[in-house]
Amino acid sequence: MKKRDITEYSVEAMRKAGLQRSECLLRDTRKDELNVDSGEMSLLRTTDNTSLILTGILDDKKGTISINKIDRLSIDEAVTTVLDLAKSSEADSANDIPPSQPAAEFERGPVAVDLDLMYSRMKDFIKYSGERYPSLILEQAILDFTNTHKYYRNSNGVDLQSRCSSYNFSPMFTSKEGTDTSSFNYVAISTAELDRNLHECGTVDLLMRQSTEQVRSREFQGKFNGDIIITPDCLGSILQMIVSYLSDYPMIKGTSIFQDSLGMQIADPQLTLHSRPLSDELAEGYFITYDGFKAENSTIISEGILKSFLLSLYGANKTEKTRAVNSGGAYVVDPGEYTFDEMTRSVERGILLCRFAGGMPSESGDFSAVAKNSYYIENGEVAYPVKEIMISGNLLNLLKNIKRISSERVNFGDAVLPWIQVENMTIFGK
Amino acid sequence: MKPVELGSYTELFSEYTELRVQENRTLNIAIVDGDVMGNSRATGSGVSARTFSKGIWGFASNPIIDDESIRNVIRAATRNSQFLAGKENRAGYILPSSPGRSSEDFSTKKIRLTQKELIEFMMEIDGRIESKFSRVVSRTSAFQLLDMEKYLVTSDGSSVYSMIPRSVLYISLSTEYKGESVELFDVYGGMGQFEDLFSTPEALFDKMDEHYEHLIRKAEGVYPDSGIKDCILDADLAGILSHEAIGHTTEADLVRGGSVAGDYMDQQVASPLVTLVDFASRALGEICPVPVFIDDEGTVAEDAVIIENGILKRYMHNKESAASFNARPTGNARAYRFSDEPIIRMRNTVLLPGKSKLEDMIASVDNGYYLMKPSNGEADTTSEFMFGVVQGYEIRKGRLGRAIRDTTISGVAFDMLKTITAVSDDIKWTNGGMCGKKQPIPVGMGGPAVKCRINIGGK
Repeated sequence: MKKRDITEYSVEAMRKAGLQRSECLLRDTRKDELNVDSGEMSLLRTTDNTSLILTGILDDKKGTISINKIDRLSIDEAVTTVLDLAKSSEADSANDIPPSQPAAEFERGPVAVDLDLMYSRMKDFIKYSGERYPSLILEQAILDFTNTHKYYRNSNGVDLQSRCSSYNFSPMFTSKEGTDTSSFNYVAISTAELDRNLHECGTVDLLMRQSTEQVRSREFQGKFNGDIIITPDCLGSILQMIVSYLSDYPMIKGTSIFQDSLGMQIADPQLTLHSRPLSDELAEGYFITYDGFKAENSTIISEGILKSFLLSLYGANKTEKTRAVNSGGAYVVDPGEYTFDEMTRSVERGILLCRFAGGMPSESGDFSAVAKNSYYIENGEVAYPVKEIMISGNLLNLLKNIKRISSERVNFGDAVLPWIQVENMTIFGK
Repeated sequence: MKPVELGSYTELFSEYTELRVQENRTLNIAIVDGDVMGNSRATGSGVSARTFSKGIWGFASNPIIDDESIRNVIRAATRNSQFLAGKENRAGYILPSSPGRSSEDFSTKKIRLTQKELIEFMMEIDGRIESKFSRVVSRTSAFQLLDMEKYLVTSDGSSVYSMIPRSVLYISLSTEYKGESVELFDVYGGMGQFEDLFSTPEALFDKMDEHYEHLIRKAEGVYPDSGIKDCILDADLAGILSHEAIGHTTEADLVRGGSVAGDYMDQQVASPLVTLVDFASRALGEICPVPVFIDDEGTVAEDAVIIENGILKRYMHNKESAASFNARPTGNARAYRFSDEPIIRMRNTVLLPGKSKLEDMIASVDNGYYLMKPSNGEADTTSEFMFGVVQGYEIRKGRLGRAIRDTTISGVAFDMLKTITAVSDDIKWTNGGMCGKKQPIPVGMGGPAVKCRINIGGK
């Protein structure tokens, strides 16, 4: 069967089995991956995989199965299992599938991998990092080309398909001089074409340079309230923590810190956060949401005001709130009015927060974390790299205490993010 | 998974080759405030081959398991290693060999429960929470099963079958205190299938009552004073310390990548009270939570004594790192999915018990904390670590005091280990989490309680 016919066959088989509503997502992925370990080419890996996810609803009871076989016998067995899972469950009127939408096809990224170009880019990267940063050890670097076809169909007649591909590069490194060692650091970037040297992508070169500085990281004693400047690399992980409170699980439980905040000022007016999975600015986006809708771009926070939760169809039905028009990710933060240098010069005492290593914040948004690969700022100057420094605060306060946002931004391929300065954070050393 | 005979394909091997057929099966049930929010099963299976040519690895995989597909992945993996080897022109290592044959199946011998019976079990737990714990405002009960079934043959003569299951039951309770939501979770289960680990819901009730009691005390608790404090780390925290803070720094690939442990071999890195072992399959007379008899490179797995009486003794190796370090492979090469290549992973990493009693250790602290349960953790090549702590108590003048709210502890492992002044005489294993490196993988960890000085975050 052709891939698209498989989804049609699966939905029809679920209908014949007696499931009243059903949906099917077929994902077909090919990955070519080049690995460097300890500074040397180590592995070329080619993987083909398929996943077929079938969901059926019977009398408001839902079951889901995922398999990675697409022959008729395997699909028939999977349909029998879905029916059994649904029958075994409890009724929940929030279970549903997307309503009818016009059929659509989407495409993004190169069709074929260029293995020779991948090899030469990686080879150049090894050479560059070794020559430019002799004390840096390339623990691992992975460059892959991933090409994914998705086919979504449901019993309401929805028929969507997409093909997305990108090159993804993620180096991890540490630096060492004698027995002085920096913390490891890493970055991940995505790009549609390998049209640049890998060290020129995102913050790769900046972080490698910083790594070599960080072999001489210093501790400091005591505790103070000061400013932190969150780098674009670090902002990605902090945004993930913030938006997790907007998603199904905490919202359905009723424990989200943003539970009743839609339309309210939750952040400083300088902050505008978009989710733009369709943006041409990003190499890594998507066209179909997790729950089977055609994805749209959205603004989650506009000038500090919460504009959208990140609720799926189920979450929206359960909470009686509006469904998000996408599945999140592809975050773009609008640029601010200040240069990074202006921000730094304004800090009397604080931290340039380059990596956040912390436990998940509590349900009330409290967090504490180690400031990894970070720098002490004093009297408007980035003074020295620090180690064993912790920060603590609350995510609600962090959003409200945003003081400046940089005009410069970094495009990681899956997000476009600036530097953000936050005041009145608790910073403590030993 | 249907039995697969791989031996006949070894004649197709032209380089050092591993050929693996694997199936991972998962089952998930999640009940949130009485609603079944998760009710799913998943099966992912396929075949993979990895070859080694002139110091370069080639790997290929395919979800179809038949004669043609198996032949194709062997050819594709060989082509990949030769493609890269042709460009790199390296001599490479001669891989050490410690082959073996084994067949280990930890499937339950009991009648399997149906999905309906499993959901009813979980609903009974949910109902008990709703009816008995009056201050709970939100509750989640989730069950996750992971069966990992593998067939492996290697060109140096290993032939392996294994079926290692893991069943984890997770309960999270939230309450409100002065307008704030406060959460505490607990995890039950470990190696085995549901039928072998969970007899009746009632068998969990006593532990659930304790869980609720800790939650209420936590809600009314305080934030710890920040700074370096005398602390007793209970077994769960000692386990994550063993894994994150020490274990990762002594994985040989990270040592090659610049870990500080590379400078410390045969040196005193911890108090003489500390002995740390990554066990392969059995420890202290019992089967481990994640038993590895022969690893995914076909190496007969052996225990790796990493720190012995405070002295760093050994790293964890796969074949290639063992060749690089002129050491014996320890059997730490593990792959998560059929489409993953084996990489160096821990198996069952624990501090060995000492001679102290936990109550005496607590009594010896004048002003500090008893830290009981971690959330997540992170390691560093410098051995600097961070763990989230979600359950703990003050210790004031040798007695437990108020509960504490969520916090973080951090330090430099090879400094902190030297501050250990007591190790309790018991041991507790955990097997609920996944370690993330390039791939996720189940790991066992555990230990006794330890008394140490550690940096704790405040508010």
